[in-house]
Amino acid sequence: MSALDKKTPVTVLTGYLGAGKTTLLNRLLSENHGRRYAVIVNEFGDIGIDNDLVIDADEEIFEMNNGCICCTVRGDLIRIIEGLMKRRNHFDAILIETTGLADPAPVAQTFFIDEDVQSKTKLDAIIAVVDAKHLLGEIDKAHEAQEQLAFADTVLLNKVDLVSEQDLATVENRIRRINPTATILRSERCQVALDAILGRNAFDLDRILEIEPEFLKHFHNHDHDDHVTSFSLLSDTPLNPQKFFQWIQSISQDFGPNMLRMKGIIAFEGDDDRFVMQGVHMLLEGNHQRPWNSDEQRTTRLVFIGRDLPRERFEDGFRNCIVQEQVAAG
Amino acid sequence: MTKFDNPFAPRFTRLKSKSLEIKGWVREVMGLAEDTPITVAELACRDEGCPDIETVIGVLEPEKPIVTIRVHATMTEITKADVAEAANVGSQQNTT
Repeated sequence: MSALDKKTPVTVLTGYLGAGKTTLLNRLLSENHGRRYAVIVNEFGDIGIDNDLVIDADEEIFEMNNGCICCTVRGDLIRIIEGLMKRRNHFDAILIETTGLADPAPVAQTFFIDEDVQSKTKLDAIIAVVDAKHLLGEIDKAHEAQEQLAFADTVLLNKVDLVSEQDLATVENRIRRINPTATILRSERCQVALDAILGRNAFDLDRILEIEPEFLKHFHNHDHDDHVTSFSLLSDTPLNPQKFFQWIQSISQDFGPNMLRMKGIIAFEGDDDRFVMQGVHMLLEGNHQRPWNSDEQRTTRLVFIGRDLPRERFEDGFRNCIVQEQVAAG
Repeated sequence: MTKFDNPFAPRFTRLKSKSLEIKGWVREVMGLAEDTPITVAELACRDEGCPDIETVIGVLEPEKPIVTIRVHATMTEITKADVAEAANVGSQQNTT
């Protein structure tokens, strides 16, 4: 495979105002790590480095469906990436810094919706930088802060030196309640091993479980008042594939605008392969991953993260997909 | 052993060649430069009045508003004539 045949990885940096996003970005651009980045930013002035591959974005929203927010992409990114790809031998990866109030969904969906963008780039991970000291105060007031956490593959819990260990545990617990599948990394002034946040392949179906080793181990009970919530559906009994596909398509159609992210591992009746899925709003993809190991419990687990999702309705539909009726919810 | 069709197989592998073909038709019928960014997506929508599946094409010419072209068919069904007809409607709607 030639260099031009390889997909360029794209890392998205989100985070509420003042969390340390720009500090991380400047670190990524200034450290000697051997990678060259093209950077898409909202404010040139914040970037403390001279780089002709820093490009200004204007958050041009392109609603592909009539008023249907789950089919919204970023037109400016499509334009910029098209232009960048003509210079793809000048850089190894792309970083996108979003504004503190940006909705991550259109950014993520841009990399799922168009075949051409998909053929040239791959969304590597969405990283949310959060201020450990101020997150709890912000999160109740700002839905944007909750949604950025909901979309994140990695949460960089920054400024941990300003918070006690007990308060850090409280903050991490709150993050987990919103997003049980994200990796949480602690840092001071964004000093974190860059390998821990770059090259994650978080949207690669084959990597879902490598990144989230706790995915199958913990139950999460989330009865609280967050704008964004998460829950899991579990079954140790296989699912009927036809019923499941029909149900999950129906769910994505009915609740897509509020279904921020979903991930799942599914054991189907008569199928010796693990089937893995992920979705952003109504854009779902899934595939066979690998055969179940002989000593592996064939547990189906779906995790939904969204706004005010009717958990009971999800559970009812899921229960109907199980070959022998048996369901547990976590 | 797989015994079912997978409706969620990654779209890229299924539709790439058709996507490129549609983009070529759009450039031809609208007289666009070869490097004009165009995005093509097949979307399902249950909003009242929307077709179950439509193909939405975005034409992103530099320094111009996005022109949206909608064809009420799946990507695999679309013909050049469909694109020409819809592009005419889309261009008119986006200039009014």
